[in-house]
Amino acid sequence: MPSIVPTFVWLEGLAWTTALRESPYGYPLIETSHVASIVAFAGLVIMMDLRLVNLAFTSAPLAQFQRRLFPWQMASFVPSTATGILLFCVDPLRYYRNVLFLAKLVFLALAGLNALAFHLKTYRRAEGWDEDPEIIATARLAGAASLLLWSLTIVSSRLIPNNWFK
Amino acid sequence: MLLPFFEWCDGLAISQAYRDSTYLFPLTQALHLLAVTVFVGAIVIGDLRMLGWGPVGQSRASIARSAQRILLWAGLAVLVTGIPQFTTNALTYHRSWLFVFKMYLLAAALLFTVTVRQRVSVADDGRLPSWVPKAVGAVSLALWIGVTISGRLITYYG
Repeated sequence: MPSIVPTFVWLEGLAWTTALRESPYGYPLIETSHVASIVAFAGLVIMMDLRLVNLAFTSAPLAQFQRRLFPWQMASFVPSTATGILLFCVDPLRYYRNVLFLAKLVFLALAGLNALAFHLKTYRRAEGWDEDPEIIATARLAGAASLLLWSLTIVSSRLIPNNWFK
Repeated sequence: MLLPFFEWCDGLAISQAYRDSTYLFPLTQALHLLAVTVFVGAIVIGDLRMLGWGPVGQSRASIARSAQRILLWAGLAVLVTGIPQFTTNALTYHRSWLFVFKMYLLAAALLFTVTVRQRVSVADDGRLPSWVPKAVGAVSLALWIGVTISGRLITYYG
């Protein structure tokens, strides 16, 4: 199987990635923007999850609450993804073997799949979520899984600089 | 002026335990970020509602009351995980202008949240001129974004 390392070496050697890596402001500002946008995004996702598991905002109808929050979740998801990709491009060789970074990606992917599965299951029945026991049960399960996966994503993100498992 | 206090923090047994452990400090940092995330989520949802965005199907007061409990528990977790981080590096923070700036901003944000924001967010819809909750939501968002960003920048420029 061809190695991906030469691609990362090439990426790391590009003029713009080198400039960002060596700039006293480039990396810190991208990283800070990444943290700020992912905190906003995950924070809003967690608010939705708390509604799904019926622990908060219980007077708000599920489907309506989801519909109103979704654009704001996306508004913070786009910059968090863009800055995340940029961070990886600036220092790919540092990240690709980092177990905690890979764990973060796995948790992110699982959180995305969980959200997708929930939407596919409930998409055709956008109204009447709050009366349908099957959707309420699915919502609780999806909300609990999402809470767990986003918590693990945030925790593993913050642990990446430690690179404990070399 | 506060140097003796910072030195006392630095000398605490818990600070030494954190400095001696490979895992304690990073794990506390990670839990701190998780608590901050939940706290920010509860602030943002309330501020969006005050700005007339987000969950507008519910009243401002209903969103604010539900968010309050989350703010309280998440705020407590932020504090519990933030204190040992501070005491462990107290002497470094004593020299950090960015840390001092963050603390002033945090004090302003907390004061604003428990006074002005609290009163406006639970006021019945229509009781206040429409620009008031919008202005309060905007100021609150700006303050908490400032706290989050300055906190992160301490790592680089503190």
